[in-house]
Amino acid sequence: MRQAAEGQEQDTSKPVTSIGRRWGMVVDLDRCTGCQACVVACHAENNIALNLEDVVLQQRAMNWIRIERYWEGEYPNVKARFLPMFCQHCNNAPCEPVCPVYATYHNREGLNVQVYNRCIGTRYCANNCPYHARFFNFWERDLEEEQREYLNPNVTVRTKGIMEKCTFCVQRIRKSEWERRHADEELQDGDVAPACVQACPTDTLVFGNLEDENSRVAKLAENKRHYRVLENLGTDTNVIYLKKVDPHASETAPAHAGAAANSGRNSA
Amino acid sequence: MTAGAMRITIGALVVVFGLVIMGAVAWLTLSAEGPEQPIEFMHSVHVEQNDIDCQFCHRNVETGAEATIPAVEQCMICHKVINGENPKVTNPLHVAEIAKLQAHWENREPIDWVRVHVMPDHVRFVHAAHIKAGFDCATCHGDVGSMERVKQVRSLNMGDCVGCHRENNAPTDCTICHR
Repeated sequence: MRQAAEGQEQDTSKPVTSIGRRWGMVVDLDRCTGCQACVVACHAENNIALNLEDVVLQQRAMNWIRIERYWEGEYPNVKARFLPMFCQHCNNAPCEPVCPVYATYHNREGLNVQVYNRCIGTRYCANNCPYHARFFNFWERDLEEEQREYLNPNVTVRTKGIMEKCTFCVQRIRKSEWERRHADEELQDGDVAPACVQACPTDTLVFGNLEDENSRVAKLAENKRHYRVLENLGTDTNVIYLKKVDPHASETAPAHAGAAANSGRNSA
Repeated sequence: MTAGAMRITIGALVVVFGLVIMGAVAWLTLSAEGPEQPIEFMHSVHVEQNDIDCQFCHRNVETGAEATIPAVEQCMICHKVINGENPKVTNPLHVAEIAKLQAHWENREPIDWVRVHVMPDHVRFVHAAHIKAGFDCATCHGDVGSMERVKQVRSLNMGDCVGCHRENNAPTDCTICHR
């Protein structure tokens, strides 16, 4: 696409954007209780297949967002840590250059886009994703006529053989965009909320435009607790985590949430 | 003729033949009559003769993604009177079709209209955005007002959409249509 081609010519150390908009999310780990409401909301919103037991045992479960659980410390001072993990919409995304058919690309709004009708299912992108945020459709959805009624009509039902991942609920972004345009107004901060953000009971997830200095998400991203998961890889993600505040940190072994994320996956 | 030239000739013939077949399929699809509907609803009667606006029936077109097909209830706004209380239509064909509609109303049954413009599942089209941009319904749907049975007049494939978006300086990012 034209925009993406322009993007390639740009300095890769800067986010590929030219329209004053870069969608991003802040995850405040101090607020996350690991309730999984985001996971459920995401499944309902994005027509994600149900993960039945056999699918999970084959390690082919699909969760565009998942709560990773880490144990910290030694008994009896054990602590559970939760880390919501989803596509980080990296500005230097490892998944993008490996796609032979250009099915995944970075658009001017900072979204890492997966184009289902281009995807031929090589799975290179999933192999290259350090966050395990991409999922391959191993099966065709087997839906009864009645079950089709449960589907969200604004989201494509992915077929067998293609890759899928979190889109930051791009259908909601587009809806808010044209609703505002319909009223001849500009998009405001807080207009767009992906399903996970809307469902989060503790306000852990905050979504918005990182380029807009006055947006809530941009202000939170400046918080001194901020870090990015696997920051050392240089992926330059659009998702920023705020470290958990631990008043008893000095009592247990020194732990950093970022370091914990490196220490091995332990899916909840 | 050498074997190489022979192969090229055969290859060219196959390509030409393929193009002819594709052209024929496209021509047949576009020139064929629209699908048969459960009720022979005539746009020509409603739009051309009675001058009803598209949006009088397709009410969601300015506000939503779908233009929406009117419910039986909405047809009955007029047809409760027209050939109900006031049997002024005399054309026997029209009388029969209106009777079918009224039967649907009395039996509380929706009409299973056959969809004419079918988009693949991975495409999202928003009517409101296009109407807001000032396009006429006829730009894509053709002169439906004069059609007795609705048929598709434009290919509405991706090339068609993208071509129009480029001409009108509309966004061409993949996520505009593919979500």
